[in-house]
Amino acid sequence: MSQRVLALTILSVFVATISVAGPAGVGAQSAWPTASVYAAADKDAANWILPARGYSGNRYVAGGQITAANVGTLKKAWTANVDARGPLETAPIVWNGTMYVTSSHNDVYALDAQTGAVKWHFPYKPHVIAFSANRGVALGDGKVYEATLDGHLIALDAATGKPVWNVVAAHDLSNTFYTMQPVPYKNMLLLGASNGDWGGIGYLSAFDAATGKRLWDWNAIPGPGEPGHNTWSGDSWKRGGGAIWSGLAIDPATETVYVDAGNPQPDFLGTIRKGTNLYTNSMIALDVSGAKPKLKWYHQFIPHDTHDWDPAMPPVLFTGTVNGASRNLVAAGDKGGNFWVLDAGTGAQVYRVAVSTQKGQNTEPNRKGNIACPNTNGGVEFNGGSYLRETNAFYVPSVDQCGIWKSQGTATYVSGQFYLGGAFPAQYGPSTGYMNAVDIGTGKFLWRKHLAYPQIGGALSTSTGVVFTGGVDGDFAAYDAKGGNVLWHYATGMTIQAPAATYVAGEKQFVVVAAGPAGVNFADPRFSKGAPTLEGKYSHPTSAVITAFTLP
Amino acid sequence: MRTIALSLVAVLVLGGAAPARSAPDDHAGAIAALADMRAAIAEIVRIEDGYAVGHAAYLRAAHRAMNALVGRRDDGYAASFGDPGDGVGTLGHLDRMLDQTGSSQWTPAVQGAKANVLAAAANLQSALGQKQMEDYQADLTRALASLALVAGRSTEGGVLGGLNGALANTSLAVPVGASVVSGCAAPKSAPAYGVVAGKLAYVALPRSAAATAIPAGLGVSRVELLGDTVVLYAPLARAAAASCSKVSRLQRTRVVARTSVPAPYVAAQAHAGIKVYARACLQCHGADLQGTAGPGVAGTDFLKNAQQNKWTLSELRTTIFENMPFSNPGSLTPKEYADVTAFLLAANCYPAGSTPFPATASPALKTVKLGPIPGVKPTNAKLGTCTVR
Ligand code: HEC
Repeated sequence: MSQRVLALTILSVFVATISVAGPAGVGAQSAWPTASVYAAADKDAANWILPARGYSGNRYVAGGQITAANVGTLKKAWTANVDARGPLETAPIVWNGTMYVTSSHNDVYALDAQTGAVKWHFPYKPHVIAFSANRGVALGDGKVYEATLDGHLIALDAATGKPVWNVVAAHDLSNTFYTMQPVPYKNMLLLGASNGDWGGIGYLSAFDAATGKRLWDWNAIPGPGEPGHNTWSGDSWKRGGGAIWSGLAIDPATETVYVDAGNPQPDFLGTIRKGTNLYTNSMIALDVSGAKPKLKWYHQFIPHDTHDWDPAMPPVLFTGTVNGASRNLVAAGDKGGNFWVLDAGTGAQVYRVAVSTQKGQNTEPNRKGNIACPNTNGGVEFNGGSYLRETNAFYVPSVDQCGIWKSQGTATYVSGQFYLGGAFPAQYGPSTGYMNAVDIGTGKFLWRKHLAYPQIGGALSTSTGVVFTGGVDGDFAAYDAKGGNVLWHYATGMTIQAPAATYVAGEKQFVVVAAGPAGVNFADPRFSKGAPTLEGKYSHPTSAVITAFTLP
Repeated sequence: MRTIALSLVAVLVLGGAAPARSAPDDHAGAIAALADMRAAIAEIVRIEDGYAVGHAAYLRAAHRAMNALVGRRDDGYAASFGDPGDGVGTLGHLDRMLDQTGSSQWTPAVQGAKANVLAAAANLQSALGQKQMEDYQADLTRALASLALVAGRSTEGGVLGGLNGALANTSLAVPVGASVVSGCAAPKSAPAYGVVAGKLAYVALPRSAAATAIPAGLGVSRVELLGDTVVLYAPLARAAAASCSKVSRLQRTRVVARTSVPAPYVAAQAHAGIKVYARACLQCHGADLQGTAGPGVAGTDFLKNAQQNKWTLSELRTTIFENMPFSNPGSLTPKEYADVTAFLLAANCYPAGSTPFPATASPALKTVKLGPIPGVKPTNAKLGTCTVR
């Protein structure tokens, strides 16, 4: 008891220090996060204002009440039900005691971060092109921004949830939609388009945060005359893919945006797009200091991919120790089961670590069909992982599955339909997952846990030695960062495909995660049988719930 | 199909004593994984060789094989068909071995084994959905081919590759509680396992016990009698010795005189091959080309071995183009194969010439014998390899 009081005191001192020492006039005082608040978000103990906390993209917190020693006593604090028409992928955003979350169909909710009570609800009815998913909102200047499944960018009044403006942001509404959160940077909202399996070309856009006016686009596929254009045979670049759909990291000091472009198209038919197909399956570093973004470097992970193995994991910037030397690094992960560490300044590869079983990766799908692993929703998924300075390890969950892949002889573009040159592979054999801890010093595993279900819940690590993640079986777990033991877990009864966040409200530290229906991508035949999980059952397949936890 | 099953070799079980149960026993895990796999293979082979009629008997065989592979914990496990394995399943054992802290010399081999078991499980699941007997059999044949890779391949000098290869060539050979000594020095006592950098160099047995204790499947490349101790050198003992700091007795070099030196590739190919090697070969043949899960592919030992076996460029080409990568043969483009072969030739200190290494088979390759090249100075004198740029 006395210990807890002490912890609370230390924490409030910590919070107070931040708000005083922060850039002039910001911190808990300012009404809405400003550019400088965003630049310091990685260190804000009370709030969680970007999908992965700060511009680094690293879900890491220093300090806090929850530690490896007491996480075992973590208890559910509150739950909030939201629209359940699809899986929840929302990264909660918390600012000054209010939490903002979204549903798969773009409903937005403002919740009391301490109680879960709904403050307002913005319903939306988008036309769904492919599947429904949304990864959350952005905040700024009294507004809540959301990018929608029907290609719009919407600004809501943060106090009431009423629309302020609504613009058509996507260029081709027949094949483009948005799943990622807009990312506020200076006066801009940065946003990538999902169109990578539907015959579009990926692009990152910047919009004026005040008005929604487009400021620039950066195309992921170089057009005629641009460097890299000759990596595409014939006219194949025109429907080349390279969607920018997952997330991004920013280094405000160098004004560099790190962004990943997805797989080339048609996904499974490489013969009609000979070449390495830049900048698909690449990380790209863009200088955004000027009126137009400039390419600093790119690193292509899988040239000429024929398996839809795009780098789904959003980039994570961190300073790690490699072979005894401190280096500025950026991490990536792809659905091909690779975890990558690059030099953040040059893009040069430092490590590649296979975190899923890999097989048949160099054989292009043929008409008869051949086995390759991971399967299309395998490897490292869109919530990525997290670096923990205290262990110099990177924590990243993965999916372990194989599939039988088939291509067709041709691919025909039909507006609004998949442009695959084959079919998504059928999953065959076991479907499991891993929680991986990669030692950044050596590029080898610090530890690894094999788990019965695919793991796509990202990772949230704390300096106090805990790593949180959720599996598609709905189990939300806290691991011991050093040894990999499960210190605590909670069965939500739904699938977890969303990342965790942590914040302080009413002087208590909370951890929050969204869970919901499996959706098309992570449906598992075991769920219909009420699959047993570590604790309890997969029991609420049609609910969508935000759950917050705190110490008793 | 039968040949595949027959070529699966017995497993190295040495030391006699029951392994201690406290620490995770990876040696026992590998053996149990192989036992479950053999049970699965037996189910498939029996139905293929027998006179069973009717769909039901075939489905039963596929289900039972699947059960032995995936184990009780997996959704693919169908309890009503019975389980010829131990219930943990090959995958269960492998997954436990991979649930490790750090990584071992044998980790790539076990990862590769897991990949091939997953592929076999995928084939079995596909077989279970087939309506035509032909398609069913084709799937089972594929499953057996994958399982053969899980086991590894037996060669004259012992098993290479797969789980058996890892058991024969890495610290996985060592049962819990057995005595482990440095593989760089001659054994001072027996029984003992000589290990260096996670690679097995030798197994030393007391002379009195050797006759009864030599297990059938132990890969032995060479036997030496040291007083009262019999030293059985592992198939990849030379690769292990390459990890020793001092040049050991295993690495004595002998230069064989030759008259003309062929230049069978162009420099640009070798350069392009660096990347191919790194991506497709390095995991098994090592950064120093001295072998990890597979044998060494460059340097004095490799060339001497090739010479002894009377290899020409033609055999080298066939091995690489048709059998490599061991885990996924034939998966590279002809150009990539030619490049990586050129890279290996360059790493073996063959000079570059003006004729590219051919991407298609050529009878001329039969005339070029492989062996140590006189007059060249290897960049790495210890290994006898040359740096490729
Ligand atoms: C999954 C592991 C693995 C990979 C990947 C792999 N190999 Fe091998 N390699 C082996 C094994 C095991 C053997 C021994 C097989 C045998 O003798 O039957 C071998 C044998 C060889 C040999 C013959 C060596 C000898 O002395 O017998 C050559 C040459 C070779 N590999 C080249 C390559 C090249 C080139 C690549 C990349 C394109 C490659 N390997 C990829 C496992 C592998």
